[in-house]
Amino acid sequence: MRKRMSLLLVMMLLSFSVLAACGGSKTAEPATTGETVTEPAKPADETTPQPEPAKEATPAGSEGLYEAADMSLNPAPAANRKDTLIVGMTSPKGVFNPLYGETTYDKYVFDVIFDYFLQVKGDGTYENSLADSIDVSPDGLKYTFHLKPGVKYTDGSPVTVKDYAFALKVLHDASYDGPIDILSFKVKGGQDYHDGKAKDISGIKIIDDNTIEIEVTEPTAYTRDTLGTVPFIPEAYYGKGYKQGDLEYIKALHDKPLGSGPYILKSFTPGQEADLEANPNYFKGAPKIKNLIYKATTDETKLAMLQSGEIDMDHVTVNQDNVDELQGMGFLDVNIFPTNGYGYVAFNFKEKKFQDQKVRQALVYGLNRKEIVEGVYGKFADVINIPQSKVSWAYTNEGIEPYDFNMDTAKKLLDDAGWKVGADGIREKDGEKFKINFSATADNPVVDALLPIMTKNYKELGIDIAAETLDFNAIMDKKDKGDFDMFFAAWGLTPDPDSTVYITKGAQNDVGYSNKTVDEWSDKGKKELNFDKRKEDYKALYQELNKDLPAIFMYQRRDMWAINGRVNGLEITPYKDFIYSLYTAELE
Amino acid sequence: MRQYMIRRLLQIIPTLIGISIIVFAISAMVPGDYITAQNNPNMSKEKAAQLRQIYGLDKPVVERYFVWAGNMLKGNLGDSLSHKQPVTKVMNNYVWNSFIIAFCTLVLSWLIAVFAGVFSAKFQYSLFDKIVTLLIFICMSLPSFFIGLLLIKLFALEFKMFPVGGMTTAGINAHGWAHIVDVAKHMFLPTLVLTMLSTGSLTRYFRTSMLEVIRQDYIRTARAKGLKERTVIFKHALRNALLPAITLLGFELPALFGGAIILERVFVWPGIGQVYLESINMRDYPFMLGFTIFIAVLTLLGNLLSDVLYGVADPRIRLK
Repeated sequence: MRKRMSLLLVMMLLSFSVLAACGGSKTAEPATTGETVTEPAKPADETTPQPEPAKEATPAGSEGLYEAADMSLNPAPAANRKDTLIVGMTSPKGVFNPLYGETTYDKYVFDVIFDYFLQVKGDGTYENSLADSIDVSPDGLKYTFHLKPGVKYTDGSPVTVKDYAFALKVLHDASYDGPIDILSFKVKGGQDYHDGKAKDISGIKIIDDNTIEIEVTEPTAYTRDTLGTVPFIPEAYYGKGYKQGDLEYIKALHDKPLGSGPYILKSFTPGQEADLEANPNYFKGAPKIKNLIYKATTDETKLAMLQSGEIDMDHVTVNQDNVDELQGMGFLDVNIFPTNGYGYVAFNFKEKKFQDQKVRQALVYGLNRKEIVEGVYGKFADVINIPQSKVSWAYTNEGIEPYDFNMDTAKKLLDDAGWKVGADGIREKDGEKFKINFSATADNPVVDALLPIMTKNYKELGIDIAAETLDFNAIMDKKDKGDFDMFFAAWGLTPDPDSTVYITKGAQNDVGYSNKTVDEWSDKGKKELNFDKRKEDYKALYQELNKDLPAIFMYQRRDMWAINGRVNGLEITPYKDFIYSLYTAELE
Repeated sequence: MRQYMIRRLLQIIPTLIGISIIVFAISAMVPGDYITAQNNPNMSKEKAAQLRQIYGLDKPVVERYFVWAGNMLKGNLGDSLSHKQPVTKVMNNYVWNSFIIAFCTLVLSWLIAVFAGVFSAKFQYSLFDKIVTLLIFICMSLPSFFIGLLLIKLFALEFKMFPVGGMTTAGINAHGWAHIVDVAKHMFLPTLVLTMLSTGSLTRYFRTSMLEVIRQDYIRTARAKGLKERTVIFKHALRNALLPAITLLGFELPALFGGAIILERVFVWPGIGQVYLESINMRDYPFMLGFTIFIAVLTLLGNLLSDVLYGVADPRIRLK
């Protein structure tokens, strides 16, 4: 659960205003490419734990796959495209190198060109892809990857573990400026190579062409998966001209990728389209769709392009209007699923009043979250009480307090905490009035819905609440300086529940929250190698977070793909992008 | 004349230095940089510091300015941080797409504006004049994204005459004539909207200057000596009425390459405007600065050009 502070704009705003939507790549779609996506570790052959159906009652029509009603309505351009799938998305940058690509859209392209030892599954766990098997030493320090024999790159040269080792070398190079933070993997000798003190990385041992052993200095539950998602890039192609400390040459190869994946890049026209062709020798079997085209779309026109058949699928913002319009077209499958992330209201823990657990609980009981969330997203979001996606294996609703809106409980908690109603109706304690200055983001629909309700609720509680409206960057600036009371923001989630958001002095704990119990369970969860025990650790962690409330947990909303009904066999879940099942998809 | 040109060209140099300092200073004062703008939650402090060092963002502002300005003198605009390519290459990828639309719009809107302006002036207060005025005010006052979306709804979805957006039909890989036809189909709607927007003010401009000119004595003289009305209007009057327009033409030069941010989004046109805006949002300084300077140079050249052309066209202000 390494999380991602997404821009507020990003979480919901794109289609609301043309200018806001112009923020192009800031759309921060869930995963930055090459991100150290961290997954639960488990022996490779163990059966995958299914995510428990831990869903609360979900309103009808707000989630799931809705099949096209009437394929006869399919527009001619789409119906006549027999061997070509056109995917609409924001234009990629043309950085088609899995070590360097930074946007989700570049990832959509390069992840069908390159292969990894492991590949994500629908429930967020990993399965072997290029790996035949993976051995982990009992202490979790040594990882032996066995490569499937006989796999070839699309130029005909064989895939060997040397290419994998080369990718690790590039990542450790001092001049590497891509997004992957390889030094956090703690590969033995990696720091020395980065600093130029060593010519090789001592923790990488190539046993033969198909076997490699990686040694790390610090084991975690997800080391196996992070190592398994380092790409194979052919050294003969990408390593020509490599000198330690100088990777400048590799940039020229970004738009000429060479990998072993299901598709081959044929051409790329910046701002327009990327054309790919099936790799007939793909080791999992040749893709059934011969041509794959990524076409640039914008929020303004994606619905029209779906309707005219110019594109077959696109990612569309979830709201009632869009869902109605897409379903009204009749020939589109609509796939709505929970977003990997959640909205929250932060407290400033440097302030004494917020350090009191009772006060925080009172502020949650005393806030009508349901009304706010329904006001913004209708049925397409749920109020949450723990910082985890309801489809995660780590999710629990055992022993979780739902904090249903209750003024009396809230008032009683504040009374107990020593905040007594003063003569002017405002609560006070030790001579300090209970005042909250809410830092509100401009042009944010959630904040717009939240403020009036929060003001009304908290006034009734006897809290003096004021709001100042600021640009998002300005609020983040205030956050870094600790100069705020409360603000609204959103976190993205990764499949693995490990996170630094709520641990003491965690890299992403930017509000000064500290709780020993939380630290303990987080640390246990990070290091526990047994899956079932790990699950228990996170259950305990979430129960504590639910009780202690490091923030007001608000909602988890939905994402949506609209897909032409003639496309079959794509598997899309919150964890698994459509690209990973493209090679099995078919066109009617 | 040559001396004047040289003097003007030399004047451009201090102006450009001033512009570069201001632009750089503004970019340096805006909070955030490429690393913070990415909002990567997994970015550790060490990794961020390492990246800033690679990009040279850890150096003092003054030093960064001189490094940047020095490279630019050598013709090296640096690498775009988000495209991971040389700035010139990224510009080359997108700027011509913007150019063809802007150029077609320029030609069309000037043609329409000249004729509409001339006839409105000739038949001032006639029904024709009133209709033209009404139409151009409607075109001018509708927001571009609104007309754009409306036209998409009508022509792309209802009548299916034109594609919704993009520059080419995905996957047809046409060459030669077929390619030109394909692009022309795609650029029809955006060009139409841009022409609608820019024709309005131009028409008013020509109408006014034409009205001024046809009241002058020499026009009466021309008519008096029995010239055909067409010759009077188009030969004698129009030439003089067009003189002030030369100044406008100078300003069109940077606009040809600047891109149209909103329309590029509405029609998914792969132009430079979107890329530029994104570079500002992403704090992709090399691209942002490089393109700003590029537009600044074009503006200065456009000014120079219009001054020179003015002299060519109008003997009264010709420089000795």
